[in-house]
Amino acid sequence: MKRQGPIILAFVVGMLMMIQFFTPNPFFLSLYNTVLDWKQVVLGCTFILGTWSLIRYHLTRIQRKQDNWRYSYVTLAGLGFMVLSAGIWKTTTGPYPWLFSNVQVPMQSTMFSLLAFYVASASYRAFRARTVHATLLLVAGALVMLGRVPIGAYFSGTVFGVEISLVEISDWMLNVPNLAAKRGIMIGVGLGTTATALKIILGIEQTYLGRTD
Amino acid sequence: MTFFERMMSIDRRIIFLFVALAVAIPLLRPLGFPVQVSEEVRSFHKEMAALEEGDIIMLTFDYEGDVMAELDPMAIAVLKDVFPRGVKVVALTTYAGGTGIAENHLREAAEVYGKTYGVDYVFLGYNPDWSGTILRLGESFKKTYPTDQYGKNTNDIPIMQEVETYDDIELICSIAGSALSEYWAIWAGGRYGVKVISGNTAIQAVLIYPYYQAGQIPGFLGGLKGAAEYEKLIDEPGMGIRGMDAQSIAHALMLVFILVGNIGYFFSRRAKREELRKG
Repeated sequence: MKRQGPIILAFVVGMLMMIQFFTPNPFFLSLYNTVLDWKQVVLGCTFILGTWSLIRYHLTRIQRKQDNWRYSYVTLAGLGFMVLSAGIWKTTTGPYPWLFSNVQVPMQSTMFSLLAFYVASASYRAFRARTVHATLLLVAGALVMLGRVPIGAYFSGTVFGVEISLVEISDWMLNVPNLAAKRGIMIGVGLGTTATALKIILGIEQTYLGRTD
Repeated sequence: MTFFERMMSIDRRIIFLFVALAVAIPLLRPLGFPVQVSEEVRSFHKEMAALEEGDIIMLTFDYEGDVMAELDPMAIAVLKDVFPRGVKVVALTTYAGGTGIAENHLREAAEVYGKTYGVDYVFLGYNPDWSGTILRLGESFKKTYPTDQYGKNTNDIPIMQEVETYDDIELICSIAGSALSEYWAIWAGGRYGVKVISGNTAIQAVLIYPYYQAGQIPGFLGGLKGAAEYEKLIDEPGMGIRGMDAQSIAHALMLVFILVGNIGYFFSRRAKREELRKG
Protein backbone atom coordinates (compact mmCIF):
# COMPACT_ATOMS: atom_id res chain seq x y z
CA MET A 1 0.00 0.00 0.00
CA LYS A 2 2.98 2.27 0.63
CA ARG A 3 3.68 2.22 -3.08
CA GLN A 4 0.19 1.62 -4.41
CA GLY A 5 -1.30 4.59 -2.49
CA PRO A 6 0.65 7.31 -4.34
CA ILE A 7 0.09 5.53 -7.69
CA ILE A 8 -3.68 5.43 -7.13
CA LEU A 9 -3.61 9.07 -6.00
CA ALA A 10 -1.65 10.11 -9.10
CA PHE A 11 -4.11 8.19 -11.31
CA VAL A 12 -7.24 9.67 -9.73
CA VAL A 13 -5.94 13.28 -9.64
CA GLY A 14 -4.43 12.98 -13.11
CA MET A 15 -7.65 11.67 -14.62
CA LEU A 16 -9.78 14.29 -12.85
CA MET A 17 -7.55 17.12 -14.03
CA MET A 18 -7.60 15.75 -17.54
CA ILE A 19 -11.41 15.51 -17.57
CA GLN A 20 -11.89 19.01 -16.13
CA PHE A 21 -10.11 20.49 -19.13
CA PHE A 22 -12.85 19.24 -21.44
CA THR A 23 -15.95 19.92 -19.38
CA PRO A 24 -17.61 23.09 -18.04
CA ASN A 25 -19.23 21.07 -15.25
CA PRO A 26 -19.31 23.20 -12.00
CA PHE A 27 -17.96 20.30 -9.92
CA PHE A 28 -14.85 20.02 -12.07
CA LEU A 29 -14.46 23.80 -12.19
CA SER A 30 -14.60 23.94 -8.41
CA LEU A 31 -12.08 21.09 -8.20
CA TYR A 32 -9.81 22.88 -10.65
CA ASN A 33 -9.91 26.06 -8.56
CA THR A 34 -9.23 24.12 -5.36
CA VAL A 35 -6.20 22.46 -6.94
CA LEU A 36 -4.90 25.85 -8.08
CA ASP A 37 -5.37 27.22 -4.53
CA TRP A 38 -3.49 24.28 -3.06
CA LYS A 39 -0.75 24.64 -5.64
CA GLN A 40 -0.11 28.16 -4.39
CA VAL A 41 -0.12 27.03 -0.75
CA VAL A 42 2.34 24.23 -1.48
CA LEU A 43 4.58 26.63 -3.41
CA GLY A 44 4.49 29.10 -0.51
CA CYS A 45 5.72 26.32 1.78
CA THR A 46 8.61 25.58 -0.57
CA PHE A 47 9.81 29.15 0.00
CA ILE A 48 10.03 28.48 3.73
CA LEU A 49 11.85 25.24 3.02
CA GLY A 50 14.21 26.97 0.58
CA THR A 51 15.05 29.77 3.01
CA TRP A 52 15.69 27.30 5.82
CA SER A 53 17.84 25.17 3.52
CA LEU A 54 19.90 28.22 2.49
CA ILE A 55 20.47 29.26 6.10
CA ARG A 56 21.45 25.75 7.18
CA TYR A 57 23.79 25.31 4.21
CA HIS A 58 25.69 28.51 4.97
CA LEU A 59 25.78 27.91 8.73
CA THR A 60 27.35 24.51 8.04
CA ARG A 61 29.92 26.11 5.72
CA ILE A 62 30.85 28.59 8.43
CA GLN A 63 31.03 25.89 11.12
CA ARG A 64 33.27 23.67 8.98
CA LYS A 65 35.26 26.61 7.64
CA GLN A 66 34.93 25.32 4.08
CA ASP A 67 36.48 27.15 1.08
CA ASN A 68 35.43 30.81 0.94
CA TRP A 69 33.36 30.32 4.11
CA ARG A 70 33.58 34.04 4.93
CA TYR A 71 31.29 34.80 1.96
CA SER A 72 28.57 32.84 3.74
CA TYR A 73 28.46 35.64 6.33
CA VAL A 74 27.71 38.07 3.49
CA THR A 75 24.89 35.86 2.21
CA LEU A 76 23.32 35.45 5.65
CA ALA A 77 23.74 39.12 6.50
CA GLY A 78 22.17 40.14 3.16
CA LEU A 79 19.26 37.76 3.63
CA GLY A 80 18.65 38.85 7.22
CA PHE A 81 18.95 42.56 6.50
CA MET A 82 16.59 42.50 3.50
CA VAL A 83 13.96 40.56 5.47
CA LEU A 84 14.31 42.90 8.47
CA SER A 85 14.23 46.09 6.42
CA ALA A 86 11.15 44.91 4.54
CA GLY A 87 9.51 44.02 7.85
CA ILE A 88 10.38 47.28 9.61
CA TRP A 89 10.18 49.91 6.84
CA LYS A 90 8.06 48.00 4.25
CA THR A 91 9.23 47.48 0.69
CA THR A 92 8.40 50.98 -0.57
CA THR A 93 10.39 53.12 1.86
CA GLY A 94 13.65 52.92 3.80
CA PRO A 95 16.65 50.81 2.92
CA TYR A 96 14.82 48.02 1.07
CA PRO A 97 14.08 49.84 -2.23
CA TRP A 98 17.44 51.63 -1.99
CA LEU A 99 19.32 48.34 -1.65
CA PHE A 100 17.29 46.85 -4.47
CA SER A 101 17.96 49.72 -6.90
CA ASN A 102 21.54 50.42 -5.87
CA VAL A 103 22.94 47.03 -4.94
CA GLN A 104 20.88 44.13 -6.30
CA VAL A 105 20.05 45.57 -9.73
CA PRO A 106 23.60 46.83 -10.52
CA MET A 107 25.06 43.50 -9.37
CA GLN A 108 22.67 41.49 -11.53
CA SER A 109 23.22 43.79 -14.51
CA THR A 110 26.99 43.61 -14.07
CA MET A 111 26.99 39.82 -13.96
CA PHE A 112 24.88 39.62 -17.10
CA SER A 113 26.79 42.29 -19.01
CA LEU A 114 30.04 40.40 -18.40
CA LEU A 115 28.59 37.91 -20.86
CA ALA A 116 29.30 40.35 -23.71
CA PHE A 117 33.01 40.19 -22.92
CA TYR A 118 33.13 36.44 -22.50
CA VAL A 119 31.00 35.78 -25.57
CA ALA A 120 33.28 38.02 -27.64
CA SER A 121 36.39 36.24 -26.39
CA ALA A 122 34.86 32.75 -26.65
CA SER A 123 33.44 33.27 -30.15
CA TYR A 124 36.80 34.58 -31.35
CA ARG A 125 38.49 31.41 -30.08
CA ALA A 126 35.81 28.84 -30.89
CA PHE A 127 34.21 30.08 -34.12
CA ARG A 128 36.65 28.49 -36.54
CA ALA A 129 35.71 27.18 -39.98
CA ARG A 130 37.24 23.75 -39.27
CA THR A 131 34.54 21.66 -40.95
CA VAL A 132 31.62 22.19 -43.33
CA HIS A 133 29.17 22.20 -40.39
CA ALA A 134 31.25 24.67 -38.44
CA THR A 135 31.50 26.90 -41.53
CA LEU A 136 27.72 26.80 -42.01
CA LEU A 137 27.19 27.74 -38.36
CA LEU A 138 29.76 30.50 -38.66
CA VAL A 139 28.20 31.98 -41.79
CA ALA A 140 24.65 31.74 -40.37
CA GLY A 141 25.74 33.32 -37.09
CA ALA A 142 27.57 36.13 -38.87
CA LEU A 143 24.62 36.90 -41.14
CA VAL A 144 22.13 37.00 -38.27
CA MET A 145 24.48 39.02 -36.05
CA LEU A 146 24.87 41.71 -38.67
CA GLY A 147 21.33 41.50 -40.02
CA ARG A 148 19.78 42.06 -36.58
CA VAL A 149 21.43 45.40 -35.95
CA PRO A 150 20.95 48.69 -37.84
CA ILE A 151 24.42 48.51 -39.39
CA GLY A 152 23.15 45.46 -41.35
CA ALA A 153 20.94 47.77 -43.43
CA TYR A 154 24.07 49.06 -45.15
CA PHE A 155 24.82 45.60 -46.57
CA SER A 156 22.66 45.15 -49.65
CA GLY A 157 23.27 44.55 -53.30
CA THR A 158 22.23 42.73 -56.46
CA VAL A 159 22.91 39.03 -56.76
CA PHE A 160 22.07 37.44 -60.17
CA GLY A 161 19.83 40.41 -60.91
CA VAL A 162 17.93 40.12 -57.62
CA GLU A 163 18.03 42.98 -55.11
CA ILE A 164 18.89 41.47 -51.74
CA SER A 165 19.79 42.84 -48.32
CA LEU A 166 21.41 41.35 -45.26
CA VAL A 167 18.36 42.25 -43.18
CA GLU A 168 16.15 40.18 -45.50
CA ILE A 169 18.54 37.22 -45.34
CA SER A 170 18.63 37.46 -41.55
CA ASP A 171 14.81 37.66 -41.36
CA TRP A 172 14.50 34.67 -43.69
CA MET A 173 16.89 32.62 -41.54
CA LEU A 174 14.87 33.38 -38.42
CA ASN A 175 11.50 32.89 -40.10
CA VAL A 176 12.24 29.72 -42.04
CA PRO A 177 15.11 27.44 -40.89
CA ASN A 178 15.04 28.65 -37.27
CA LEU A 179 11.27 28.44 -37.08
CA ALA A 180 11.17 24.98 -38.68
CA ALA A 181 13.77 23.63 -36.24
CA LYS A 182 12.09 25.20 -33.24
CA ARG A 183 8.67 23.90 -34.27
CA GLY A 184 10.07 20.40 -34.68
CA ILE A 185 11.59 20.57 -31.21
CA MET A 186 8.33 21.91 -29.76
CA ILE A 187 6.29 19.10 -31.28
CA GLY A 188 8.79 16.59 -29.93
CA VAL A 189 8.70 18.14 -26.47
CA GLY A 190 4.89 18.23 -26.56
CA LEU A 191 4.63 14.56 -27.49
CA GLY A 192 7.26 13.66 -24.90
CA THR A 193 5.45 15.59 -22.17
CA THR A 194 2.13 13.94 -23.05
CA ALA A 195 3.71 10.49 -23.06
CA THR A 196 5.43 11.08 -19.71
CA ALA A 197 2.22 12.47 -18.16
CA LEU A 198 0.28 9.42 -19.34
CA LYS A 199 2.98 7.09 -18.00
CA ILE A 200 2.79 8.79 -14.58
CA ILE A 201 -1.03 8.73 -14.52
CA LEU A 202 -1.09 5.06 -15.50
CA GLY A 203 1.60 4.15 -12.97
CA ILE A 204 4.19 3.05 -15.55
CA GLU A 205 6.61 5.85 -14.66
CA GLN A 206 7.44 5.66 -10.94
CA THR A 207 10.67 7.63 -10.57
CA TYR A 208 8.79 10.30 -8.60
CA LEU A 209 8.39 7.65 -5.91
CA GLY A 210 12.12 7.25 -5.69
CA ARG A 211 12.30 4.17 -7.92
CA THR A 212 15.18 4.24 -10.36
CA ASP A 213 14.77 0.83 -12.06
CA MET B 1 55.12 32.31 -33.19
CA THR B 2 54.26 33.32 -36.77
CA PHE B 3 52.13 36.32 -37.67
CA PHE B 4 49.15 34.08 -38.50
CA GLU B 5 49.48 32.19 -35.23
CA ARG B 6 49.44 35.53 -33.44
CA MET B 7 46.20 36.33 -35.25
CA MET B 8 44.71 33.22 -33.65
CA SER B 9 45.78 34.01 -30.12
CA ILE B 10 44.98 37.63 -29.34
CA ASP B 11 45.08 38.21 -25.60
CA ARG B 12 41.58 38.18 -24.12
CA ARG B 13 42.28 41.44 -22.28
CA ILE B 14 42.73 43.19 -25.63
CA ILE B 15 39.37 41.78 -26.77
CA PHE B 16 37.74 42.93 -23.52
CA LEU B 17 39.18 46.43 -24.01
CA PHE B 18 37.88 46.68 -27.57
CA VAL B 19 34.42 45.41 -26.55
CA ALA B 20 34.27 47.98 -23.73
CA LEU B 21 35.20 50.78 -26.13
CA ALA B 22 32.80 49.52 -28.81
CA VAL B 23 29.93 49.68 -26.33
CA ALA B 24 30.89 52.83 -24.42
CA ILE B 25 31.85 55.21 -27.24
CA PRO B 26 28.59 54.94 -29.26
CA LEU B 27 26.58 55.32 -26.04
CA LEU B 28 28.45 58.52 -25.21
CA ARG B 29 28.57 59.82 -28.79
CA PRO B 30 25.62 58.38 -30.76
CA LEU B 31 26.28 57.62 -34.39
CA GLY B 32 22.65 57.63 -35.50
CA PHE B 33 22.39 54.41 -37.50
CA PRO B 34 18.95 54.20 -39.12
CA VAL B 35 16.48 51.83 -37.39
CA GLN B 36 14.41 49.70 -39.80
CA VAL B 37 11.11 48.44 -38.39
CA SER B 38 10.54 44.70 -38.70
CA GLU B 39 7.21 43.02 -39.42
CA GLU B 40 6.81 41.54 -35.94
CA VAL B 41 7.34 44.93 -34.27
CA ARG B 42 4.91 46.56 -36.70
CA SER B 43 2.35 43.90 -35.70
CA PHE B 44 3.04 44.54 -32.01
CA HIS B 45 2.48 48.25 -32.58
CA LYS B 46 -0.70 47.55 -34.55
CA GLU B 47 -2.16 45.67 -31.57
CA MET B 48 -1.24 48.49 -29.21
CA ALA B 49 -2.49 51.19 -31.58
CA ALA B 50 -5.90 49.48 -31.74
CA LEU B 51 -6.46 50.12 -28.02
CA GLU B 52 -8.92 52.86 -27.17
CA GLU B 53 -9.39 55.15 -24.20
CA GLY B 54 -10.72 53.22 -21.21
CA ASP B 55 -9.44 49.87 -22.45
CA ILE B 56 -7.54 47.80 -19.91
CA ILE B 57 -4.36 45.88 -20.65
CA MET B 58 -2.31 43.61 -18.43
CA LEU B 59 1.40 44.37 -18.37
CA THR B 60 3.66 41.74 -16.87
CA PHE B 61 7.18 42.62 -15.71
CA ASP B 62 8.57 39.08 -15.86
CA TYR B 63 12.22 39.93 -15.52
CA GLU B 64 14.88 41.01 -13.06
CA GLY B 65 17.89 43.27 -12.99
CA ASP B 66 20.06 41.07 -15.18
CA VAL B 67 18.11 41.76 -18.39
CA MET B 68 16.95 45.28 -17.54
CA ALA B 69 19.15 46.80 -20.26
CA GLU B 70 17.18 44.93 -22.92
CA LEU B 71 13.70 44.88 -21.44
CA ASP B 72 13.37 48.16 -19.57
CA PRO B 73 13.21 50.20 -22.81
CA MET B 74 10.29 48.00 -23.91
CA ALA B 75 8.32 48.37 -20.67
CA ILE B 76 8.95 52.11 -20.59
CA ALA B 77 7.91 52.48 -24.25
CA VAL B 78 4.69 50.52 -23.63
CA LEU B 79 3.76 52.84 -20.76
CA LYS B 80 4.65 55.90 -22.87
CA ASP B 81 2.40 54.53 -25.59
CA VAL B 82 -0.68 53.63 -23.54
CA PHE B 83 -0.83 56.15 -20.70
CA PRO B 84 -1.27 59.29 -22.85
CA ARG B 85 -4.13 57.59 -24.71
CA GLY B 86 -6.07 56.82 -21.54
CA VAL B 87 -5.50 53.06 -21.67
CA LYS B 88 -5.54 51.55 -18.18
CA VAL B 89 -2.87 49.15 -16.94
CA VAL B 90 -3.07 46.17 -14.60
CA ALA B 91 0.54 45.29 -13.85
CA LEU B 92 2.04 42.28 -12.12
CA THR B 93 5.20 40.23 -11.98
CA THR B 94 6.04 36.59 -11.55
CA TYR B 95 9.65 37.41 -10.60
CA ALA B 96 10.60 38.50 -7.08
CA GLY B 97 13.03 41.06 -8.48
CA GLY B 98 10.40 42.33 -10.87
CA THR B 99 8.53 44.17 -8.10
CA GLY B 100 11.09 46.94 -7.68
CA ILE B 101 11.46 47.33 -11.44
CA ALA B 102 7.70 47.52 -12.03
CA GLU B 103 7.16 49.93 -9.14
CA ASN B 104 9.82 52.32 -10.43
CA HIS B 105 8.58 52.37 -14.03
CA LEU B 106 4.91 52.63 -13.14
CA ARG B 107 5.50 55.43 -10.65
CA GLU B 108 7.72 57.42 -13.02
CA ALA B 109 5.32 57.05 -15.97
CA ALA B 110 2.31 57.89 -13.77
CA GLU B 111 4.03 61.08 -12.58
CA VAL B 112 4.83 62.15 -16.15
CA TYR B 113 1.33 61.50 -17.51
CA GLY B 114 -0.62 62.45 -14.37
CA LYS B 115 -2.11 59.01 -13.74
CA THR B 116 -3.76 58.02 -10.49
CA TYR B 117 -2.92 54.76 -8.75
CA GLY B 118 -5.93 52.50 -8.43
CA VAL B 119 -7.89 54.39 -11.08
CA ASP B 120 -5.64 54.42 -14.14
CA TYR B 121 -3.30 51.65 -13.12
CA VAL B 122 -2.68 49.12 -10.41
CA PHE B 123 0.28 46.99 -9.44
CA LEU B 124 -0.84 43.61 -8.16
CA GLY B 125 2.68 42.62 -7.15
CA TYR B 126 4.57 39.37 -7.14
CA ASN B 127 3.09 35.93 -7.10
CA PRO B 128 5.63 33.12 -6.83
CA ASP B 129 3.54 30.44 -8.51
CA TRP B 130 3.80 31.64 -12.09
CA SER B 131 1.98 28.72 -13.72
CA GLY B 132 -0.79 28.79 -11.12
CA THR B 133 -1.03 32.57 -11.47
CA ILE B 134 -1.52 32.41 -15.24
CA LEU B 135 -4.28 29.83 -14.86
CA ARG B 136 -5.95 31.34 -11.77
CA LEU B 137 -6.22 34.79 -13.36
CA GLY B 138 -8.43 33.18 -15.98
CA GLU B 139 -10.85 32.21 -13.21
CA SER B 140 -10.62 35.30 -11.00
CA PHE B 141 -8.19 38.18 -10.72
CA LYS B 142 -9.35 39.07 -7.21
CA LYS B 143 -9.01 35.55 -5.87
CA THR B 144 -5.53 35.26 -7.35
CA TYR B 145 -4.56 38.65 -5.93
CA PRO B 146 -6.75 39.35 -2.87
CA THR B 147 -4.51 42.38 -2.20
CA ASP B 148 -2.29 44.55 -4.39
CA GLN B 149 1.45 45.05 -3.88
CA TYR B 150 0.79 47.50 -1.04
CA GLY B 151 -1.65 45.31 0.87
CA LYS B 152 -4.80 47.07 -0.27
CA ASN B 153 -7.83 44.86 -0.83
CA THR B 154 -8.35 44.50 -4.59
CA ASN B 155 -12.13 44.69 -4.04
CA ASP B 156 -11.61 48.31 -2.93
CA ILE B 157 -9.47 49.35 -5.91
CA PRO B 158 -11.57 51.18 -8.56
CA ILE B 159 -9.83 49.75 -11.64
CA MET B 160 -10.29 46.23 -10.27
CA GLN B 161 -14.08 46.72 -10.27
CA GLU B 162 -13.83 46.44 -14.04
CA VAL B 163 -11.62 43.36 -14.06
CA GLU B 164 -12.79 39.91 -13.03
CA THR B 165 -11.17 37.59 -15.57
CA TYR B 166 -9.18 37.74 -18.80
CA ASP B 167 -12.45 38.53 -20.60
CA ASP B 168 -12.27 42.04 -19.14
CA ILE B 169 -8.87 42.96 -20.53
CA GLU B 170 -7.97 43.69 -24.14
CA LEU B 171 -4.61 42.03 -24.17
CA ILE B 172 -1.66 40.80 -22.14
CA CYS B 173 1.68 42.39 -22.85
CA SER B 174 4.31 40.06 -21.43
CA ILE B 175 7.75 41.61 -21.05
CA ALA B 176 9.82 38.57 -20.17
CA GLY B 177 13.43 37.56 -19.78
CA SER B 178 12.56 33.88 -19.94
CA ALA B 179 10.11 31.49 -21.60
CA LEU B 180 7.22 33.04 -19.69
CA SER B 181 5.81 34.81 -22.74
CA GLU B 182 5.34 31.37 -24.30
CA TYR B 183 3.45 30.19 -21.22
CA TRP B 184 1.23 33.28 -21.20
CA ALA B 185 0.44 32.48 -24.85
CA ILE B 186 -0.14 28.75 -24.22
CA TRP B 187 -2.16 28.94 -21.01
CA ALA B 188 -3.77 32.39 -20.91
CA GLY B 189 -4.09 32.64 -24.70
CA GLY B 190 -4.79 28.98 -25.45
CA ARG B 191 -7.12 28.16 -22.60
CA TYR B 192 -8.84 31.52 -22.01
CA GLY B 193 -8.60 33.11 -25.45
CA VAL B 194 -6.96 36.36 -24.36
CA LYS B 195 -4.64 38.06 -26.84
CA VAL B 196 -0.96 37.92 -25.85
CA ILE B 197 1.82 40.08 -27.26
CA SER B 198 5.33 40.08 -25.90
CA GLY B 199 8.66 41.78 -25.44
CA ASN B 200 11.60 39.43 -25.10
CA THR B 201 15.36 39.33 -24.85
CA ALA B 202 17.12 38.76 -28.16
CA ILE B 203 17.97 35.19 -27.14
CA GLN B 204 14.40 34.40 -26.19
CA ALA B 205 12.91 36.19 -29.20
CA VAL B 206 14.27 33.51 -31.51
CA LEU B 207 11.92 31.04 -29.81
CA ILE B 208 8.86 33.28 -30.28
CA TYR B 209 8.77 33.01 -34.08
CA PRO B 210 6.63 29.82 -34.16
CA TYR B 211 4.01 31.48 -31.93
CA TYR B 212 4.12 34.60 -34.07
CA GLN B 213 3.68 32.70 -37.32
CA ALA B 214 0.81 30.69 -35.83
CA GLY B 215 -0.88 33.87 -34.57
CA GLN B 216 -0.64 32.80 -30.91
CA ILE B 217 1.52 35.86 -30.28
CA PRO B 218 0.37 38.39 -32.89
CA GLY B 219 3.34 40.71 -32.37
CA PHE B 220 6.54 40.86 -30.38
CA LEU B 221 9.59 42.97 -29.65
CA GLY B 222 12.86 41.07 -29.96
CA GLY B 223 15.72 42.37 -27.85
CA LEU B 224 16.97 45.92 -27.74
CA LYS B 225 16.44 46.17 -31.50
CA GLY B 226 12.72 45.47 -31.03
CA ALA B 227 12.55 48.15 -28.33
CA ALA B 228 14.30 50.62 -30.64
CA GLU B 229 11.88 49.87 -33.49
CA TYR B 230 8.89 50.32 -31.21
CA GLU B 231 10.29 53.59 -29.86
CA LYS B 232 10.62 54.73 -33.46
CA LEU B 233 7.01 53.81 -34.26
CA ILE B 234 5.60 55.67 -31.26
CA ASP B 235 8.06 58.53 -31.80
CA GLU B 236 9.48 58.29 -28.30
CA PRO B 237 13.24 57.77 -28.70
CA GLY B 238 14.78 56.22 -25.60
CA MET B 239 17.45 53.81 -24.50
CA GLY B 240 16.45 51.34 -27.21
CA ILE B 241 17.40 53.61 -30.09
CA ARG B 242 20.40 54.88 -28.19
CA GLY B 243 21.65 51.36 -27.56
CA MET B 244 21.40 50.36 -31.21
CA ASP B 245 24.62 52.14 -32.20
CA ALA B 246 26.54 50.38 -29.42
CA GLN B 247 25.04 47.02 -30.37
CA SER B 248 25.85 47.55 -34.07
CA ILE B 249 29.47 48.39 -33.37
CA ALA B 250 29.85 45.57 -30.83
CA HIS B 251 28.43 43.00 -33.28
CA ALA B 252 30.65 44.28 -36.08
CA LEU B 253 33.68 44.16 -33.79
CA MET B 254 32.96 40.56 -32.78
CA LEU B 255 32.72 39.60 -36.44
CA VAL B 256 36.04 41.33 -37.14
CA PHE B 257 37.66 39.30 -34.35
CA ILE B 258 36.11 36.08 -35.66
CA LEU B 259 37.33 36.94 -39.16
CA VAL B 260 40.85 37.68 -37.91
CA GLY B 261 40.90 34.38 -36.01
CA ASN B 262 39.75 32.46 -39.08
CA ILE B 263 42.26 34.11 -41.41
CA GLY B 264 44.98 33.19 -38.93
CA TYR B 265 43.63 29.65 -38.69
CA PHE B 266 43.40 29.23 -42.49
CA PHE B 267 46.92 30.43 -43.26
CA SER B 268 48.52 28.65 -40.28
CA ARG B 269 46.91 25.40 -41.41
CA ARG B 270 48.13 25.95 -44.95
CA ALA B 271 51.66 26.69 -43.73
CA LYS B 272 51.65 23.52 -41.60
CA ARG B 273 50.45 21.44 -44.54
CA GLU B 274 53.19 22.82 -46.74
CA GLU B 275 55.75 22.09 -44.05
CA LEU B 276 54.52 18.51 -43.82
CA ARG B 277 54.60 18.13 -47.58
CA LYS B 278 58.17 19.36 -47.70
CA GLY B 279 58.99 16.90 -44.97
